[in-house]
Amino acid sequence: MAGQRITVVISQSQSKNPQVRQLEEEIATQLMLDGSVEVSLIPHLYDLTADHPGMLFLKSVPGDLVVLSWLYPRASRWILDRNGIGGQEGVSELKSAEEEEAEDEDEQFQPSENAIGALNPPKRKIYTIDLRVRDSADEFLAEIKRIAQSTAVQTVDLMGWIGGNPQPQQLQQYLNPQKNGNGHVSATDNGDGNGHAIDNGSPVKRRWYPVIDYSRCTNCMECIDFCLFGVYGVDGADRILVEQQDNCKKGCPACSRVCPENAIIFPGHKTPGIAGADEGGIGNLKIDLSKLFGAPSALELAAQERDTELVADGREAVGMTVGIPKRQQSTSEKRDELDDLIDGLDELDF
Amino acid sequence: MSGDLIFMMGIFEVRFPSDRNYFESHLWLQRSGENYRVGFTAYSVRLLQDVYFLDWAIDPDTVVRKKQEIGEVESSKALSTLYAPADGRIVAFNDAVLDDPSVINTDNYGAGWLFEFATDAQTLTPTEYLEHLAAGWESTQRMIKGQMNE
Repeated sequence: MAGQRITVVISQSQSKNPQVRQLEEEIATQLMLDGSVEVSLIPHLYDLTADHPGMLFLKSVPGDLVVLSWLYPRASRWILDRNGIGGQEGVSELKSAEEEEAEDEDEQFQPSENAIGALNPPKRKIYTIDLRVRDSADEFLAEIKRIAQSTAVQTVDLMGWIGGNPQPQQLQQYLNPQKNGNGHVSATDNGDGNGHAIDNGSPVKRRWYPVIDYSRCTNCMECIDFCLFGVYGVDGADRILVEQQDNCKKGCPACSRVCPENAIIFPGHKTPGIAGADEGGIGNLKIDLSKLFGAPSALELAAQERDTELVADGREAVGMTVGIPKRQQSTSEKRDELDDLIDGLDELDF
Repeated sequence: MSGDLIFMMGIFEVRFPSDRNYFESHLWLQRSGENYRVGFTAYSVRLLQDVYFLDWAIDPDTVVRKKQEIGEVESSKALSTLYAPADGRIVAFNDAVLDDPSVINTDNYGAGWLFEFATDAQTLTPTEYLEHLAAGWESTQRMIKGQMNE
């Protein structure tokens, strides 16, 4: 009956913070003891290359999948998608305070109607949950249980949820997998098959590259025009693609600022909007006058960041002369933020 | 080591080897081939305590300006951005401390080095660094206490 069980994958943090590790291990342990779901631990999802055992494992999961990671849900969802791990977006009820507020205020980001969407996602559901939204394992466990039950109702097979209990020694082995530096799957499967850690022993190199959210991307090609490092390409159907991930310049988020749909995510960037947070919330209600006082626009900042990387590569800085004109034309036709701000001022009760 | 200089952070004794030079931003540097190796001084490590996470915001072999953001450190006591200590070129990073940052705590003057750096910048001798610490100790304590009372 194992085929009916959902798979829970915990993507571990890059940080060795003991509180972080404890939360990961507590969730894994409880899920194993419960035995009703498959559970696996993998290294930090964003750092995994396409052929890493952890990524290969994710690709091999046929059914519903819950991925817990220290990333915004959008970021992990589209990292999976880029690796061919697709599915319908499962909706988690665990949200950050900011997201809940944004929902109450009904000001969530509305993707463009022209967004191209994921390419033929299969019917199964993928839930991506941010481990930063709660402090206690119990809330994550309750949510996983809720997801497992909602899936169980659909498949009408409750018997499949009765699982085995691991021996203490198996549990120990599972939580402290043998170091394995040869790059093969070091799965310490505990016999009844409901939990293992996948190659957490071999170090994973930190990576930095953009992730496209196709629920927002309109295939406008501004990013491929802007980036001068050959990161972007197009697939056989002329769909924009992050083709050469590791050509990207560490720390540079410039293409994300250029994207008119906020569809480009750098999961490791400090700015939540760039790292994949849903916009909205209280931050948007405040008037930001920094532009009036001379702060660079997003486009100017992007051009500066790109110039820094070009010069570092021994190339000429190009400033605002390459890969920018289209957007400037289209924004000049539309109302800009300043227009909205000026009109909005009248409605404010000072 | 006998040649170490000692500074008292309150009742806590921190040591600074005299076989290397220092930056005001609490990093040591020591000649290693054509370049320098750079790492946290015992003073930095004492303030950070257990280091959990280290990340760089730039690729190796990058020219940097003094005070340019180059990375981030998370420890049991602090979360901080890291800045270039001087104008120069960061040649390579120590991958071992990215995988296991606890080496910074166990061997900050040795295996816990952070990056290789090419620079012509003026640096501090051990004695000058100690004077710099003594001059800044009062304000450092005030800065830390001020944040804790926020």
